Amino acid sequence: MQGILGNEVHGPNNESMGRIVDVVVDGEGKPRAAIIDFGGFLGVGSRKIAVDWKALRFVPSASKRYSIALALTRDQVKTAPEYKEGQPIVILGASGSLEPIP
Amino acid sequence: MAPSRRSLRGLDWFAFFVADVQTGFGPFVSVYLTAEKWTQVDIGLVLSVAGIVSLVGQIPAGRLLDAARSERLVAALAVGLISASAIAYAGWPIFPIVLAAACLHAAASCLLGPAIAAISLGLVGPREIGERFGRNARFQSIGAGLSAAIMGAVGYFLEPRAVFLVTAALLIPTWTALRFIEPREIDPEQAHGASPRESEDRPPIRLRNLVTKPLIVFGFAILLFHLANAAMLPLMGSVLTKRSSEWATVLIAACMVGPQLVVALCSPWAGKQAQRLGRRPILLAGLAALPIRGVLFATVSDPYLLVAVQLLDGITATVFSVMVPLTIADLTRGTGRFNLTLGMIGTMMGVGASLSPTLAGYITDTFGSSTAFFTLAAIAFVGLTVVALLMPETRPREPDAVTEDGRA
Repeated sequence: MQGILGNEVHGPNNESMGRIVDVVVDGEGKPRAAIIDFGGFLGVGSRKIAVDWKALRFVPSASKRYSIALALTRDQVKTAPEYKEGQPIVILGASGSLEPIP
Repeated sequence: MAPSRRSLRGLDWFAFFVADVQTGFGPFVSVYLTAEKWTQVDIGLVLSVAGIVSLVGQIPAGRLLDAARSERLVAALAVGLISASAIAYAGWPIFPIVLAAACLHAAASCLLGPAIAAISLGLVGPREIGERFGRNARFQSIGAGLSAAIMGAVGYFLEPRAVFLVTAALLIPTWTALRFIEPREIDPEQAHGASPRESEDRPPIRLRNLVTKPLIVFGFAILLFHLANAAMLPLMGSVLTKRSSEWATVLIAACMVGPQLVVALCSPWAGKQAQRLGRRPILLAGLAALPIRGVLFATVSDPYLLVAVQLLDGITATVFSVMVPLTIADLTRGTGRFNLTLGMIGTMMGVGASLSPTLAGYITDTFGSSTAFFTLAAIAFVGLTVVALLMPETRPREPDAVTEDGRA
């Protein structure tokens, strides 16, 4: 068990895909998507993207912690619409599809 | 009395290290707090409060410096406070401490900028100040560029927290550089924009007489320029992140460091030419770079060309760091209120810069990023027109000045 806020997410080639900054849940409190802060340098130019919860895998690693793997490439993530609070959320699915949430 | 070489070198390196200390912070705070499992709401709150402090703190900081008898002491204290807040960030990333540290850092930063300008003016006097501001800008931009690269590497290879510890440790070279500046060579009257000979029995002029038409025009134009400028790099950064995946981070880093190199190359030259040709040609040429950059960002789509266009930011930054304090030194000559005026213009810059992301973000969401860039370019163009039509030449006319004190 571990908290995931602020943890780094890694892509298929183990490259950094940014950190988890928020989790989106449905009406029953089940996680639907993770908001990752993607790209940028020293905080400039980063974009917040909502990725499908199912696209994340929690891989056991050293000392009972989990490293978080994302089944999406940078090319798939970079073009996804930005997550903005108070606006309709578009979730980037594991296959690269975009699913708007009303 | 001419300042010694030792003092001038001390000021060079003080400007260099202060820029290092400042870069270590700014953009890194939200990255660090995110890694420390802070929510976006809390991070946003801390940054907003710090933003407000740095806005309302400018004028009191200017007044304090005008009243101070030792600019060096104020600068040393401000650096000490910033270092202390860096340690607080690294050691206790909990809400009350971070909020206090952020406010402390913002308040100290309000003092530091004018303190460097005041020490410079106090050391070299109004006749040499153009070149001096140019030199300060060169050392500051080299410092900021280098430390952005080093801090980026430290944050990437070690951990975000280490950035704050490195920043705190920079206190030692910063203070050392300051010690090299001989306090007796800083004329406090000159540092406040008063004339050294008359000032003994003359208090600073009244505030109502300080605010003249050129100052209002200049302040308004500078507000417009910051409104146009502040959001341009972040907006361009997110466009880059969208278009290029592998190289986006490197390209954004180049966009942050590249303009600093331009400032380092151009600013002493700009300061010298402003002294020779007058302020207006340099001011107008520099300010014209901003609308051009906006239009190019709106129309160019190749990521590598975008980085090249971003170099124009260096020209705008040269104007902000050399021509703004120089123009204010001109406009406040003999008033004894140089630092206060610097604070007033600083507040207008802050208002423009803080509204900029909101405006650009709204336009980007509604009409797309090209329209946002065109809008920012249009705002900058209005600012340029205001300066071209309403701003007089501010270089003081005094043909006897060169021989007056026996120096050429």
